[in-house]
Amino acid sequence: MASPQFPAIIQRERLMPRRHKWMTPASFLLLPMLVYLAFVIFPTLNSLVYSFTDWAGYGADFNFIGLKNFEKVFTDRLFGNAIKNTALWLALAMTVPTLCGLCLALALQGKRLINTLYKSLFYLPIALSPIIIGIIWIWVYSPQLGIINIALKAIGQGHLAKAWLASPDTALTAVFIAWAWQQTGLNMVIFLAGLTSVPMPLIEAARVDGANYIQTLRKVIIPMLRPATVVVLALTAINALKSFEVIWVMTKGGPFNRSDTLAVFMYSESFRKYKMGYGSSAAVILFLMTLLIIVFYFRQTAAAEELYD
Amino acid sequence: MLNKHLTIRLMLILVALLSVTTAFSQDDLSGDFIVSHYFGGFGGEYIEDIIDSFVAENPGLNREASPVDHEQFKTSILVQLAGGNPPDAFSYWAGARIQFIVDGGRLQSIDDTWAANDMDSQFPQAVIDTAVTYDGAKYAVPLTLHWVGMFYNTALFEQVGAETPTTWDELVAVAESFKEAGIPAFALGSINRWPGQFWFDMILLRTAGNDYRSQLMNGEASYTDPEVARAFGLWNDLVDAGYFYPDANAYDWDEAANQVANGEAAMTLMGTWIGGHYAALDMTAGEDFDYFSFPTIDDDVPRASLGPIDTFVVAADAANADAAKAFLVHLTNPEIQLAFAEGAGNLAPSLLVDTSNYNDVVARIAAEIAADPVFAFNYDLATPPPVAEVGLNAFSEFMANPGDYEAMLARVQEDAAAEFAAMAE
Repeated sequence: MASPQFPAIIQRERLMPRRHKWMTPASFLLLPMLVYLAFVIFPTLNSLVYSFTDWAGYGADFNFIGLKNFEKVFTDRLFGNAIKNTALWLALAMTVPTLCGLCLALALQGKRLINTLYKSLFYLPIALSPIIIGIIWIWVYSPQLGIINIALKAIGQGHLAKAWLASPDTALTAVFIAWAWQQTGLNMVIFLAGLTSVPMPLIEAARVDGANYIQTLRKVIIPMLRPATVVVLALTAINALKSFEVIWVMTKGGPFNRSDTLAVFMYSESFRKYKMGYGSSAAVILFLMTLLIIVFYFRQTAAAEELYD
Repeated sequence: MLNKHLTIRLMLILVALLSVTTAFSQDDLSGDFIVSHYFGGFGGEYIEDIIDSFVAENPGLNREASPVDHEQFKTSILVQLAGGNPPDAFSYWAGARIQFIVDGGRLQSIDDTWAANDMDSQFPQAVIDTAVTYDGAKYAVPLTLHWVGMFYNTALFEQVGAETPTTWDELVAVAESFKEAGIPAFALGSINRWPGQFWFDMILLRTAGNDYRSQLMNGEASYTDPEVARAFGLWNDLVDAGYFYPDANAYDWDEAANQVANGEAAMTLMGTWIGGHYAALDMTAGEDFDYFSFPTIDDDVPRASLGPIDTFVVAADAANADAAKAFLVHLTNPEIQLAFAEGAGNLAPSLLVDTSNYNDVVARIAAEIAADPVFAFNYDLATPPPVAEVGLNAFSEFMANPGDYEAMLARVQEDAAAEFAAMAE
């Protein structure tokens, strides 16, 4: 009987002494690790170092000033404003696109053509860059040509028309809606994947026991969607904290800082005020907040895996 | 109009091809040459022609294009400077912004080039002192000079029978006559914040004068001073009376310019680059649109002109500093300065330019600048960038909540003082 023909690389590995077998995976990992080190780890550590300096961001010289940036940032009115806006953004992000994504997934599960069509339509914004999303919604909110104001005027509610992105009362919410439009599609897809793993016999058993749709949803489907929900909440929270492009394109944090989030604050301090050290301290705080969510995410994922093992 | 622009561009190319730089022979220049600028629209086309012609004159050079959007330039150039890979030469705004990067050691002096080409005789001393010289050394070559004034729709002025105002009371009366006709008197597009600064600048210059304003820009005066409160009070009177087109923070400067062009508003306080914008709309200077100088408010306050000056500078880390300096010399050619100014609707800083070539509007503006004893840089070029950020946000806030300006000024002073203190550390 002829021995099976393995690819050359595997054949070479089979011939390697045991102590050298780590070399194959290491050689595959080397390039991505170098890229990761250069473009993620190094800038992150660099930012941490700069957060302890007074570097302006363009000069060659800087001084180490200890924790001064961190002391200052917690008394900065604009940082407080950014924290407040970020908290609001996060709270909205955890609810609006999550619930919308879940509702869409429940409504569109199944393989009928119309469902597939709508799924594609709702997923489409994910394929667009945040810059394009921002530009599209600038047009939607345009005071004169925007579809919202035109629609309001068409139904006789012209007094409600306003400059949505220029008004301090509506700017943050208006930008959030644009961001949520994109995030909802992603959440829908994750929930749809989660729904495929809900065992049909459980749902049928609930129906046989006389449960209506809402009861089945509450007692069977949503509990079984816990792993998907953890993924959705964690991804949404991380995306919410690092959301920057849509805000920058649509308002640049304005009008007068009303739509500043931590990411926008960090950018403005670093690149508009030329205080890279100070901006880096905000970046470190943002990183720590994101890290907390990632830790929570992994713990919850592990707990969910244990539950269903 | 297209033919006019084409003619100017062809003239630019011809002039540049014929011109010979005095400090460097063509054989001296070789290697890669990176020049970056923030000019868009027609200005962008002209500067590209100028760069191309310079490279054509110096066949040893290999130009690497580096196009950047105007607003993006403000941050991207600093990233390049910080990263140690800047363009060899780049456009930059004279005043506090150049001072800021000179302080950071990111520009190299062009004293040698300046002296070798006798540029002292080519530019007005006031421009050399304010736009070129920093910490006693020359760093920049001025390419174009802008002036801020009130640009208006001539047909609308005729329609309501308004004369161009020369005093504050006349300005208010004209605004009132437009209001009665159902036309907003003033268009302001401050979505990017900076257009709002011109209102503050002009009112403060006409009430407190340039000396006080300089103190405020340097942190030696306070935003809670009565001079500042009065400036905001006068501005507030106009906003409160409903003379402004609504939702200023929703529009950009060119949209405000279009509101005036379309007859939706009567006038806008803007820089001379609006002439280039109107030329692109086939509007004729002096016929379809015209200008007037911001009216006098207090008779005893000396007049002052306001605006930015665009310059080109050489990066400290320039890989091809010789080419960069030769390019700066190239920009001093009076024909190039004139053609660039004509195309963009601005003024040429060079004394060697034949001003008889200016259109009627630009020629009158040149006379205004010559008559005014002071030429001041606008707010975000007069005060250090971290402080300018505070002020620009305040102007935007004022347009949204004009009545609360006293509380706002207290916050501005607190933030501005903190920024000045941080810079002094």
